Amino acid sequence: MASLIASRPRARPAHTHGTTRCAYTPDGTRLVTVGSNNTIRLYKTGFDGEPDNIDDCQEQNLAVAAANTFFVAGAEDGTVSYYSLDTLVFDRFLLRCSLPVRDVALSPDGKWCAVASDELTVRLVNVEDTSRLKTLREHKAPAKHLSFDPSGHVLALSCTDGIIYIYSMTADPPELIRKVDGVIGRVDSDSEVSTRVAWHPDGRAFAVPTPTRDIQVVSKHDGEKQRAFAHGHEGHITALAWSPNGALLATAGKDKKILIWLAKDQSVIARYDYANVIDIAWHPTQNLASFTTSDGEVYICPEFVPEMFENMLRLPKQPAPFIHDPREEITNGRRADAGAHNIPSRPRRPLDDDLDDLLDDGFGGPGGDEDMDDDGFVVDDDGAGYTLNAARKRAAEDDLGAYPNKRSAYFQPQVHPPFQPGSTPWRGNRKYLCLNLVGVVWTVDQDTHNTVTVEFYDHAFHRDFHFTDTFGYDKACLNDKGTLFAAPPKDDRPAVIFYRPHETWVQRTDWRIELPKGESVLALSLSDSFVTVTTSANYVRIYTLFGIPYRVYRPKSTPIVTCASWKDYVLTMGNGPVGPDGQCRLLYSIQDIKHDEMCQNEDTVALPEGASVQSVFFSDQGDPCIYDSTGTLLTLLHWRQPSRAVWIPLLDTKLLPRLASGRKHETYFPIAVADNKFHCIILKGGEKYPYFPRPLLSEFDFSIPLTSAPRGGKKKDKRRPDNPDDEDEFMLSGPSADEEEEEDSTSPESESLRLSQSYLLLSLSYSQLADQLSHNKIPSVSDRARLARLQLDIDKTLLQMLALECRISNGDERSMRALEIVKLMRDRTGKMLEAAGKVAERYGKRVLGEKIKELAEKGGDSDRDEDEEDY
Amino acid sequence: MALPLPPGLTPAEVSFLAEMELVTVIPRQRLDSIELLSGKTPPLRPPHRADLPLWLALLLKKQRRANILPPPWLHPDSLREIIHQETTVDPQAFSEPPPARHPRADPARPGRTLPIHQDDDGFILSPPFRPGSCTADAPVGFLPYHWLEVAEMLLAHAADDIGAPAGEVRGLLRDLVEVRAAKLRNSTSVLEGFGGGLMSLRGVGAMELAESRGFVLSVVDGVRKIGASTEAARREAEEEEEGADASDEDMGL
Repeated sequence: MASLIASRPRARPAHTHGTTRCAYTPDGTRLVTVGSNNTIRLYKTGFDGEPDNIDDCQEQNLAVAAANTFFVAGAEDGTVSYYSLDTLVFDRFLLRCSLPVRDVALSPDGKWCAVASDELTVRLVNVEDTSRLKTLREHKAPAKHLSFDPSGHVLALSCTDGIIYIYSMTADPPELIRKVDGVIGRVDSDSEVSTRVAWHPDGRAFAVPTPTRDIQVVSKHDGEKQRAFAHGHEGHITALAWSPNGALLATAGKDKKILIWLAKDQSVIARYDYANVIDIAWHPTQNLASFTTSDGEVYICPEFVPEMFENMLRLPKQPAPFIHDPREEITNGRRADAGAHNIPSRPRRPLDDDLDDLLDDGFGGPGGDEDMDDDGFVVDDDGAGYTLNAARKRAAEDDLGAYPNKRSAYFQPQVHPPFQPGSTPWRGNRKYLCLNLVGVVWTVDQDTHNTVTVEFYDHAFHRDFHFTDTFGYDKACLNDKGTLFAAPPKDDRPAVIFYRPHETWVQRTDWRIELPKGESVLALSLSDSFVTVTTSANYVRIYTLFGIPYRVYRPKSTPIVTCASWKDYVLTMGNGPVGPDGQCRLLYSIQDIKHDEMCQNEDTVALPEGASVQSVFFSDQGDPCIYDSTGTLLTLLHWRQPSRAVWIPLLDTKLLPRLASGRKHETYFPIAVADNKFHCIILKGGEKYPYFPRPLLSEFDFSIPLTSAPRGGKKKDKRRPDNPDDEDEFMLSGPSADEEEEEDSTSPESESLRLSQSYLLLSLSYSQLADQLSHNKIPSVSDRARLARLQLDIDKTLLQMLALECRISNGDERSMRALEIVKLMRDRTGKMLEAAGKVAERYGKRVLGEKIKELAEKGGDSDRDEDEEDY
Repeated sequence: MALPLPPGLTPAEVSFLAEMELVTVIPRQRLDSIELLSGKTPPLRPPHRADLPLWLALLLKKQRRANILPPPWLHPDSLREIIHQETTVDPQAFSEPPPARHPRADPARPGRTLPIHQDDDGFILSPPFRPGSCTADAPVGFLPYHWLEVAEMLLAHAADDIGAPAGEVRGLLRDLVEVRAAKLRNSTSVLEGFGGGLMSLRGVGAMELAESRGFVLSVVDGVRKIGASTEAARREAEEEEEGADASDEDMGL
């Protein structure tokens, strides 16, 4: 690459030999440099004469940060001084530390100044009111560098112990939210080698120098390594800075080179020879950069980026170099094909919302969203971010999508994005394609190809396998019979569907089908007899297990969200009409493909306002279930007959006893419903998706939300280990039994609650089974026996409820309720009524006993009437 | 002739019995239900959890057909909590056994409850065996009756499934064993004196009892023998007094 600048800028001898730092004010009018002599120099942009000097300052300044009206400098004597840019004088001391200050950083709104010194804690001082202090003390060694992310919500701290600590600034006091280990090296705090975190201007990732002389990009929301700027420097990195729009990265190393990298493909576009550079600052708008050396010299380089690449600087804000950009993943396939970006009334909010989700992943501080609501009234046209503070934050999001059209703000329907049940988005270079009770499919991106691994829980049944995948499969389904994959269209190649059966008796039975060009797969599902594919062209394509196209149709509600299937039943879900909350109602249809019957036609998915569906699947009994974003598991009852379907809540995870103490924060990633249990993965610490290593599955019993979880555990608390998180990783089991037990043994109320819970659940499974049997033309004997047994169980539960009522009542005051319980019994033979009479007698409830006897006597007739209305 | 065996169970027998405890496993392979003397085992279908007797779980573990989920009380935090309880909160007594399960209503006999230690299939587990005291949903912070044996066996054969570093768990268990053994030995020192020699054994595990049975019994026996002569003397004196009283009364009448 050309390594020449037309005229090499002259070295300006600004300071004496020693650490020299520079910073541009955000509006780009001035460059501030500090160094080891007691002068601070302020260079006016575009003016080549003598700089303004401030002589009233400390000696040995080691750090500087500038805002538009002031700047702060940290000195080796431990003081942080505040200088006004209007009057160009020393104003006051912000903070005094007992040890040398190593770095200062100003929050983007200019209100807080973070100070890293050789002390173990990092202090944040309010610039206006120095009595307001925040302290960061989770790290165990002195900090070397500090940097606020562009939104100011997060502070990254490069510590001398080789770990990057990420603190949330929205919480008060600031909380440690992530440790990123294994990226930076252990570097002394006074070393010239840099471990600075440079936030990419879009705020979703940052770049840091590694000990291997590369620059690693790390994503903010999960701390995973993304792309790396590798093999450029032959010495340790001493400085790095992103261009204001994030398209370029400038780095300096001990190999006496300055490199400019293209963020998009991590290639070097320019190489300059400058020795001992220890700080680089880009001008916010112009093609201009300045850097300082440890010899005390300042270079101001106009035309810093070669002319060929100058237009890179004028681009709007560029996305950070992710391996798999989470944003692309979401927009891809949704409406990309419709050329939606040109349509003025493009629904804007869903994109924005998803983005917020992504950005705020794991940073759910109390004020996390505050600035997302205020609409930036200053439009940041060139994406340079020079309109300060709030507007600047705003710009970070707006620039990347198409420009929002303010006129369309009146009506913005929110479309539910498509998703593949049981899969996770890319995180770093890994992604789970499918998680269910049969096994796990995951893929690792190896740059040129992917490696797909299929692992089974039942090792004896199937052998695990993995293969090299050149298509880039990003969706998969797994069941007992085979694995189904789908790859998105790439370049010229259309989307591909690939099915691989687990066992065959012929040579080769896997098949591959290409979809029409431009059509991509939104979701796919695999049942024992059919393969269902929903595509971006709004088609549902159904194939048999061996690739014979069986049916293609267009569902009535589009865009399609997802699909699921079980045996011959296929459930598709799509966006329907817009509801009052501006969100599209989700509509589902269930079809029996083989018999060509419509079970449910465009029925509504019952969701509370603002909630969305997280997963759709069939239970092992073949009942459709959904898990929504409020943490509720619902199942569909009576769905085999048109328009009779009802959504029944099976479990509200927010009411689980393990969360009742309010000290645990966890969410659940749904896996399956089987054996009358909800199988899920417990996610902690704000995580939204499971990651590697694969966590254990947990099981929860169903519990229809009746009352909130018992607020017991006062006594328990003291017995509980102090660290609830650790304990859980261990016991991962489910409800901790002791609390429930304690409660049970003390109060009859909870006993009665337990009984009514099991009554409800039993009646539910009774009607599910009855439904299933009524649909089968000839129910088998064993099914009938199961049904009869369930009925018996229901009556037994009622009997226990009756006994409890009798036990806890002193007189007859609860007899009405008891009689009602008796009337609920389903048994027609009268045996149960007889038993109920005995119970009443035993507890000496004579009146009740007589009433029950009466009921039993006339039972024959009245029962027959009620008979019909049951199930 | 009496058998030469010492009274009570030997440690080997106790650990054999402890293998009856149910533990939770995550199977890695399908296995149908097996008919055993103690009842049917649940069919194993990965990845569904199942409760199996410890001996069977260990067998499957050795064959790599299952992973054992350690009971929650074996977690270092839980053990630390118990040690804290034993050493500082209440240094005299042993930590409490797990809370009793609530008696359940017996569907067959309305108004009555099932015996606490009877399971749903109606077979009665011997009293120290509480159903589910070593499974994954056992209560945290309570040591069940067979804690030592189960923990030792799990550490010996399924250390990789424990989750926490095995060394740490071993160390904590050793601490706990020593604390409690010291308490048991001390119990013999309070034997002297009238009304002494009473000690609550609530919460003491089977293996601890088996280990200290010989020692405690012989000490008690020794103390009894030493005290036998004084006791005899006291008796005689009492009898004489009584005799004297009686003669007095006779005289009076």
